Amino acid sequence: MPREIITLQLGQCGNQIGFEFWKQLCAEHGISPEGMLEDYATEGTDRKDVFFYQADDDHYIPRSVLLDLEPRVINTIMNSDYAKLYNPENVYLSKHGGGAGNNWASGYTQGEKLYEEVFDIIDREADGSDSLEGFVLCHSIAGGTGSGMGSYILERLNDRFPKKLIQTYSVFPNIEEVSDVVVQPYNSILTLKRLTQNADCVVVLDNTALNRIAADRLHIDTPTFGQVNQLVSTVMSTSTATLRYPGYMNNDLIGLIASLIPTPRLHFLMTGYTPLTTSSQVASVRKTTVLDVMRRLLQPKNMMVSTPVQRQANHCYISILNIIQGEVDPTQVHKSLQRIRERKLATFIPWGPASIQVALSRKSPYVQTSHRVSGLMLANHTSIVSLFERTLRQFDKLRKREAFMDQFKKERIFEDNLDEFDNSREVLQQLVDEYHAATTPGYLGWGTSQAAAST
Amino acid sequence: MASQGDYAVTSPSAILQKLCCKITGLPDDTVLPYYQLSLRIISSKFSPAIETDEFQVSEKIKRQLARKGREKDAALFSELHRKLKAQGVLHNRWAVLHLLMTLSDTGIKRQAAPSFDSSIFNKGLPAYATSTPFHPTIRANNLTLSGSTILSGGSSGISSINSGLTSSTTPVAQSFIPSNAVVSVQNNRHEDKSNQRQNVGTKSQTITLTNKNFESAVVPRTPGTVVSTQTPASRDKDNTSFEIPENELLKDLMFAFQGIEGRWIKFNSAKDGYRIEHQVGIPKSVRQLISKLTECGWLYNRTKSYITSWSSDKAFGLVGQSFCAALHQELAEYYRFITVMEAQVQHERDQGIGDVNGGLTLRRLAVWTFDPLVRLKVLAALVDVCKGKKGGALASAIYSYMQHGDPYVRSLIRHTLTMVFQPIYATLVRWIYDGELEDTYHEFFVASDPTVNNDKLWNDKYSLRKTMIPTCLSIEQARRILLTGKSINFLRQVCEDRTATTGREAAMDLDISQAETMFTQDVNSAFQQMIDTVYKETSRNLLDVFHSKYKFLDHLKAMRRYLLLGQGDFIRHLMDLLEEDLAKPASNLYLHNLTGILEMAIRATNAQYDDSDTLKRLDVRLLEVSPGDTGWDVFSLDYHVDGPIKTVFTPESMILYLRVFNFLWRAKRMEYILAMIWKNQISYAKSLKSIPELNKILHQCHILGAEMVHFIQQVQYYINFEVLECSWDELLTKVHEAEDLDHIIAAHQVFQDTVISRCLLDEKSRAILTQLRTIFDLIIQFQTAQRQFYESAELEVSFRDKFEKMKEKHTEEGDWAVTEVEVVEEQKRKDEFLNTVIPSTWAQLTVLSQSYQDMVQQFLVMLTCHPDVNLRFLSFRLDFNENYKARAPEQFNSPLMYQRTKRVR
Repeated sequence: MPREIITLQLGQCGNQIGFEFWKQLCAEHGISPEGMLEDYATEGTDRKDVFFYQADDDHYIPRSVLLDLEPRVINTIMNSDYAKLYNPENVYLSKHGGGAGNNWASGYTQGEKLYEEVFDIIDREADGSDSLEGFVLCHSIAGGTGSGMGSYILERLNDRFPKKLIQTYSVFPNIEEVSDVVVQPYNSILTLKRLTQNADCVVVLDNTALNRIAADRLHIDTPTFGQVNQLVSTVMSTSTATLRYPGYMNNDLIGLIASLIPTPRLHFLMTGYTPLTTSSQVASVRKTTVLDVMRRLLQPKNMMVSTPVQRQANHCYISILNIIQGEVDPTQVHKSLQRIRERKLATFIPWGPASIQVALSRKSPYVQTSHRVSGLMLANHTSIVSLFERTLRQFDKLRKREAFMDQFKKERIFEDNLDEFDNSREVLQQLVDEYHAATTPGYLGWGTSQAAAST
Repeated sequence: MASQGDYAVTSPSAILQKLCCKITGLPDDTVLPYYQLSLRIISSKFSPAIETDEFQVSEKIKRQLARKGREKDAALFSELHRKLKAQGVLHNRWAVLHLLMTLSDTGIKRQAAPSFDSSIFNKGLPAYATSTPFHPTIRANNLTLSGSTILSGGSSGISSINSGLTSSTTPVAQSFIPSNAVVSVQNNRHEDKSNQRQNVGTKSQTITLTNKNFESAVVPRTPGTVVSTQTPASRDKDNTSFEIPENELLKDLMFAFQGIEGRWIKFNSAKDGYRIEHQVGIPKSVRQLISKLTECGWLYNRTKSYITSWSSDKAFGLVGQSFCAALHQELAEYYRFITVMEAQVQHERDQGIGDVNGGLTLRRLAVWTFDPLVRLKVLAALVDVCKGKKGGALASAIYSYMQHGDPYVRSLIRHTLTMVFQPIYATLVRWIYDGELEDTYHEFFVASDPTVNNDKLWNDKYSLRKTMIPTCLSIEQARRILLTGKSINFLRQVCEDRTATTGREAAMDLDISQAETMFTQDVNSAFQQMIDTVYKETSRNLLDVFHSKYKFLDHLKAMRRYLLLGQGDFIRHLMDLLEEDLAKPASNLYLHNLTGILEMAIRATNAQYDDSDTLKRLDVRLLEVSPGDTGWDVFSLDYHVDGPIKTVFTPESMILYLRVFNFLWRAKRMEYILAMIWKNQISYAKSLKSIPELNKILHQCHILGAEMVHFIQQVQYYINFEVLECSWDELLTKVHEAEDLDHIIAAHQVFQDTVISRCLLDEKSRAILTQLRTIFDLIIQFQTAQRQFYESAELEVSFRDKFEKMKEKHTEEGDWAVTEVEVVEEQKRKDEFLNTVIPSTWAQLTVLSQSYQDMVQQFLVMLTCHPDVNLRFLSFRLDFNENYKARAPEQFNSPLMYQRTKRVR
């Protein structure tokens, strides 16, 4: 079947959000936790084969690979209702089960060691699809497995499947709470290098913002992982909605992201979703219209990335894609766009044409929602750079003190020197520079100046 | 007259009863009828309408005496009268004289003819038995007649008073009953009410003259007196001794009434009328009277000639025939009138001319002919206005008289219309209930073209004959009627649906009398209701069959999914599979290969879940190949339609679909190309990292590519929303609301028109479309340029890799890594690459980028100038952040620009 997407779930975080994602997809397509099509869902015109394939006994199996270095999360999954959903051959648990100890280098090294076994699974999965579109990687950038092993896998995927797209859903650490992982900045910066160089599209899921949204918007004091992950799964499922419900446009991943990412490195996307309700909330009282949804999506408080206001920079949208679901009068779309332009609710890049793209997508008939219209925004906004700058600052602080380096030096990649840190920092700095350049008209000649500098 | 009774009687009524007993010789108890009658006579208002002038009476008596050759008596009477006057004893001399005269008259009459008393009694007696004593005649006769005159709308009555009368006129009169003519009862005692004549028709019955005596004051009773009393002056002037007796004239008139020349009355073609011949000595006033009377004859002739000239014409049609029939009926009525007249004339003649004191006179005749004349006038007018017309037009012509102010005329017209509308109504009912069009003479306002085959039945076979639509029907009604019958035929012949239409029985036992509802719509909505009900019923039937049996909506959706690229995954996959083939020259394409590919695409995508019937209809079509075309230019999907749905998806509209497909396919291809360009950029950005000199070109490619992606994406979004979604939404709403198939067809046409014009495919947008094509071409050029660049860059990278590997290998083998020569060669190649490929690519891309931006710029300007406001949506989308406007603000200075372009245009 055409344009398949293979999902790789890495580490504790990756597997958790992956689990939620599949739960959501199953619900939307009317697939039972055992993978069987529900009786009410047989007449579907949705495309299940992008994310699922059918086994010989007709039951649907996710094109998903579950990888972890410690068994806790995967065991939870395998003990859940959805245990039978997954292809057990696609679940890989490191044999010694010790985990990566929140150490990027450890994860990376273990990844190297497990290369053959992991890529056996990935290759098999890739061979099982007619025209693979690409991979989706779910992980966090701060831990050990998701970041370290994820980084390694990203590099290898690039080599092995140079023509396939790699999209990641990357969870960024929560900066507001004191993390038990002190080496977070190290892990982050090393992962960010791979995300910059080896991924084609990174959907940034900022834990800070997710927790804030959960707390503010959903009125939950201490959001659980599950609740936060539900937000994530909503974002993930909606952003793939146009792939799963074919329409005139945006029927493949490339069509979806090509217009969002004008130049290859500026591929970190923010998301926003409205209206947000958890399943526990009974009904929302607000009336949702297209304009409402689109306007709310442009409000920072609905963004799932927390970006502090930076006065010195004129941050702007490079591109926006709104995926609107629900009962939408198509004539409203134009009116909403007009209103947004009149009110100048969004600032765009000064160096090229840009606009708000609106895709209408069908909604799953099997999932009942209390609101008429809902919307997801995928935006390429230069203010994402603040996240990287923050990471850079934290990294520099640690790096200056050479703190917590011992664990890293144990691993092969840092045996000889710590060049990898510096190199990663440089890559990230370049990215930051490019984002800043993109806020000015001078970005058109950006390549020339850079080329001049490097020669 | 009996002043004193034998018994002591106190009241005059008792005296009267006594008198009755005396006269009739009947006993007290049986004399009652006579008593009542006499009471009535006495108490009635009747007073002899006679001269109250003593002189007149005396003159009359004298003349009477003179006529009877008793000149001496006359002189004696005159002498006596003079004396009486001189005496002054007698006050009411006139009454006395009159009494005397009457007495003398009665004496004469009793022997010659039935007396007037007896005629009263004759009249009264039979009637008494049936009804109320005091108004027996009127009621009785009304009753009997209304029973027999079914067809006539109004109350009718023919006086059967005559039954008691002498002559043979009565049976004749009654034999003409079937007319609608309103024949009134005229009783002599009601003569003074005869100004109510409007309500009544021909008074051919009453002419039998029950009122001989009492009307006679106006018109002298005998021919002789007519001349003598009326025209003493003209008589002197006329200077002719020869007087035609009035009876003769009357007889002649009877002929003239029938359009036949009589002895004296001839047709004068110069004056276009019947006139008495010149040489005949007739007083002028009589001449005038005659010529007035003969107008009837003239009008009759006119009507008659119309009937004779048309009724023989077979092609005249049913409506014309019924019109003639209606005319005939009227004429029959008229004939009856003449017959009665004639009988009267004959009757009087038989009795001898001289002594009739209540006979027919010219003046009376003028009164009697008053109503027939009006009728004939109307008929003649109708005949004039209907000349050369037939069918609905004829009905319309008559209908235009419906608004006549005279209720009498209106009722006549109404009757005629009822007749005329009957065939129309019959055809109409057959048509709307059964779909059968029996219209041999092309009279009906629905025309059928038998040469049209079933494919085009709906669109072409039936049409409205505008001229034949009766003016009493609105165009909307006519349209509905047309649609109703058409729907039935469509169901039968095209949809092959044989279920009987409801209400068919109603059509079978057709109630012709309902025809009237057609032209009395302003007071009666029955017709409108009938049309509406049948129309709704039939249309709903048709739509039901259309939707359920022929799955119209499914086909419509299939059009959307396939020809309008709605099934994105399928289209995408099809393009994947076809890419290679379509790049070939168009002439190298083989349809069967493509069909195979189509099959594959269907099987691999969600299209496979579509209805198998839909998929069977889906096909590949190659458009006409012109030299230089590639597969992309000629490839098209096609959708086969047949049967009823072909009425909506006509071959013409299918061609429009194919045109739209072609446009969308091209746009889709651009999207496809750009996706590949983007993908290459992404992957080459990684693999070409090793040559930093390439960065600026790569960046240039990215920027240009991004601009193109934006352009095409926005065009696609525009097509998706502003073109397809919006109009589709509208179409679906309209289809759901549609009351008949025409609504659906119209909605579909609007949909197509909108799509065509918004896709820049109409005539007005030709220039813009060309511009868009140029932009598309530039995108393809860019693709080629970028590919070439990547290829050479890749080659360079591989050379460098090889060189590096060689170095490593040599090092491993313990040799010198590279020889001097190799280094120089490597450097030389590097330099060549850097100095040739990079500058030339840079230059090429710069030119390309510049011309692309110019083209887009121009395209935007053209859009803003386009008359269709909806296209502004596109320019709005393309320049959402006003980037293009910022680059060339002067071009977008709208007010100036508008003026300029307007002037150019």
